Amino acid sequence: MDGGWQHLDYFAFVALFCIGLYVVLAKSNLVKKLLGLNIMETSVFAFIVTSGMVDGGTAPVVGPGIDAPFASPLPHALILTGIVVAVSITALALALIVEIKRQCGTIEADELKGAE
Amino acid sequence: MEHLLPLAAALPLVAAALLPAVAWRRPDAAWGWAVAVGAGLLGIVGLLLRRLLQDGPFSYAVGGWAPPWGIELRFDALSAFSLGIALVGVAVLVFSGRYAQAAVPPQRRAWYYSLLLVNLGGLVGFACAADLFNLFVCMELVSVSSYALVAAGGGRIAALAAFKYLVAGAVSSLLVLFAVGILHALTGSLNMADVALRLADVEARGPVLLALGALTAGFMVKAALFPLHLWLPDAHASAPSPVSAVLSALVVKLGVLGLARVLPLFAGLDWLVLAPLHEGLAWLGAIAIVAGALAALLQEDLKLMLAYSTVSNIGYIVLGLGLATPLAMTGGLVHVFYHALIKATLFLAAGAIIHQAGFRTLRDLRGVGRAMPWTGVALSLGVLAIVGLPPTAGFLGKWYLLLGALEAGRPGFAVALLAGALLIFVYYLRILNAFYFRAPLREQILAVREAPLSMLLPVMALALLCLLGGLFGSGPVALAALAAARLAGGG
Repeated sequence: MDGGWQHLDYFAFVALFCIGLYVVLAKSNLVKKLLGLNIMETSVFAFIVTSGMVDGGTAPVVGPGIDAPFASPLPHALILTGIVVAVSITALALALIVEIKRQCGTIEADELKGAE
Repeated sequence: MEHLLPLAAALPLVAAALLPAVAWRRPDAAWGWAVAVGAGLLGIVGLLLRRLLQDGPFSYAVGGWAPPWGIELRFDALSAFSLGIALVGVAVLVFSGRYAQAAVPPQRRAWYYSLLLVNLGGLVGFACAADLFNLFVCMELVSVSSYALVAAGGGRIAALAAFKYLVAGAVSSLLVLFAVGILHALTGSLNMADVALRLADVEARGPVLLALGALTAGFMVKAALFPLHLWLPDAHASAPSPVSAVLSALVVKLGVLGLARVLPLFAGLDWLVLAPLHEGLAWLGAIAIVAGALAALLQEDLKLMLAYSTVSNIGYIVLGLGLATPLAMTGGLVHVFYHALIKATLFLAAGAIIHQAGFRTLRDLRGVGRAMPWTGVALSLGVLAIVGLPPTAGFLGKWYLLLGALEAGRPGFAVALLAGALLIFVYYLRILNAFYFRAPLREQILAVREAPLSMLLPVMALALLCLLGGLFGSGPVALAALAAARLAGGG
């Protein structure tokens, strides 16, 4: 039982991931799909950032009066890269949505099917 | 010499970043710059390949930090696909010179070349990455530039197809990143060789299975493996033709190469049996071969037809990985390389025809083979190669796959393979029939001129490689066999 509660955050990330995936698949508005994608991204980032957490760990900066244990800084560095990728994907997707709206007059997926 | 390996990935990326500045005052310089970089890439990959053949696989520690702590680049038999990337890249860049003038708006042209170079650099980086996070970053470089390139030509369908591609691609990338995060949390390492060693000591089975599942699903979407291929046909058919060639020949291979990279990580676990996964992959591959070929048979649009043929050919490759015998995996991996050459030939030839004639359905293009004899010959050679007739490039992969299916004692898969080849033969007969033997439906077809030299040259060069590929097959087959042996040996 104890082990399960300790990893409550992991279950939260999986739930968040599934919510995002549901929004991507179920919503017909393209902007909402993009929001779903961002929810998924957030869940993955949060998961990886917390995976670097060490109980009682401090920031891994060497100096007087700072002792181990340290939190692992690597996941944070990874997620910085991940965030850059996510931002560029979001920007590109928004630009595409503007283009779709301009060309087809709508951003609802079900109406776009008719427009094709 | 030592620094050639990072240079192979860095050269296109840096050149891509500089390109808009180069093209700022002289827009015409963009093409020359891009082609020069492509040629440089080809030269570097040639040198790397020579070293691989002489000394075997070699690594490079980025920044002098030794693996497993630092970032490691590794050029092994699987990375030899870089040759395919460079060859197709040069052909596509040369071809784009005239094509982009007509198909890409002037203000976007510098970005178009820039994105193509980013794409090529990411592909080479992906092929040479030895740690999981670099694998992810390079995959994202390739993916994001691909989404943008699909929409580069403009047009209402292109933007929509690009968005669909973006959503499918981003979800699959997140699955891969999620799995990378799990593996890092479990093992504390990102270097693939190191992760494979440390996974053996991991006791938590649930997360390992979750990571395996997420990686497999993510790369399956990237590879457009049936039934996760729904994003592919629209994106590949509505992109500008040189971009279609890059997407179909190279970018879908990310998924296959990715699978080939990460599955061995899990092979060392004594409690985990990969056989059911392999069985599932083999079945999906076999279904994809037949379903993709059938779907291609029903298309009227030339480029949609080629796009569905990619779905079918990915089926061949995945079937090879799924059968997991040395011969079948050799066949699958050889086909990764040769399918890249063949599909690039087909898409570039189709692009030249559509560009010159202005039509894109088989009905409208009837008789075009006589108006454009050289491009027609190139397309026909590509067709012969993809059917897999003996001296051509497509033959080797399918031959080894067939032997592999028999070796594994699964004649049923051999039948699926031959049925797929037969269906491919039928739909390419349709193309040849329409181009050469049917009376033109449109009068304009008779007045269509042959493609200009800068488009014809890359197409003919690739077509020649398709024709002769089977004769010079010993090198690629030896490399693929090497890679297959490492896959089967578990890392």
